[in-house]
Amino acid sequence: MAEMMSPSEFRVALEQAFAGTMAKDASFSRAWATGKLHKQHFVHWATNHYHYIGPFGDYLGLMYANTPDHARDAKDFLLQNMYEEELSDDRHTDLLIRFAEACGGTRAYVQDRNNAMPFAKGMQGWMYYVSGRENFVVSSAALIVGLESQVPSIYRTQYPTLINKYGFSEWEAEFFDLHITSDEIHGERGYQIVLKYADTPELQQRCLHYVREAADMRFAYTKALYQTYVEPDLGPWVEEEEREPALVG
Amino acid sequence: MPRIYFKTVDRYVEFAEGEEVNVLRMAIREDCDVPWQCASGNCGTDRLVVEEGVENLDPPRRRERARLGDLLDDGYRLACQTYTRGDVTFSWDPDQVGLDDEGGDGSGGGSRAGWAGTG
Ligand code: FES
Repeated sequence: MAEMMSPSEFRVALEQAFAGTMAKDASFSRAWATGKLHKQHFVHWATNHYHYIGPFGDYLGLMYANTPDHARDAKDFLLQNMYEEELSDDRHTDLLIRFAEACGGTRAYVQDRNNAMPFAKGMQGWMYYVSGRENFVVSSAALIVGLESQVPSIYRTQYPTLINKYGFSEWEAEFFDLHITSDEIHGERGYQIVLKYADTPELQQRCLHYVREAADMRFAYTKALYQTYVEPDLGPWVEEEEREPALVG
Repeated sequence: MPRIYFKTVDRYVEFAEGEEVNVLRMAIREDCDVPWQCASGNCGTDRLVVEEGVENLDPPRRRERARLGDLLDDGYRLACQTYTRGDVTFSWDPDQVGLDDEGGDGSGGGSRAGWAGTG
């Protein structure tokens, strides 16, 4: 039976739980960061991403309802994030659509669920399931540590390519700039909540399980983006040699 | 190991060689009491004076330039928007509030303490 880990041991375990399957190393992310994608591929990415993260306020709302009153700081964190997502500034999905429009897409195309891959719908369903059915600590581990804390590492390699190679303006690519920094903080707060409230060995193990599952889900989804939209144009992904060998997906 | 010196609270935070780290994230992780609100470059609550090590910081992007304006020339950076890859020293006024809240009644219309974005 697993033993209770100290906060520092648990943090390392959480970080290691998704170290091998980070979405930044999946084929679609690598093709993006190295400037191989065409603008039409970005429209497909934005469309699928819209259906994956578009209901984020819903996921957070379900988690909020599952969080007990004694965990007031965790409840406030979730509520704050709902507000940020939807109301505090430009709505985040509008920034995503702004990018899609800069790539030649339309709002109607992006918002049409029929244009999303089954994998995107699977991500959406998994997030509804975890946020609605799991203990709030476990869903925080899954959605915030496992998924959201990866965002800066993905967008920090993709954003410079968008500006420098593809010539997007900072305004057009604001979705990425915003999330590079806000999700650093979001991820850190997620770690703090999980470290604080996963207070039994069973909860710690369940958090680790869901962090792994979240990373696997996002990796498979990102790999599917390449296979569905890019491989027919560019062929199978081959990693260039100068980079450290990555998990090929 | 490179380190961030949060001079106002006399705390050093180390990070791994070769890494680039977000300044506000490190401050929150290590409880260094940097004031902040939005984490998205909107409020300016987390503006820090760069006392040393400016050469180790990444250049400011659009949101930070728009929020700080001339304060950038005065040596300020926003902790939430800034990454460092080497030694750097920051100081700040522990009582500072958001740039839109200064001189007002504090209700300001900006974001509230600790509100961060999702994506
Ligand atoms: S915390 Fe608001 S600008 Fe950085």
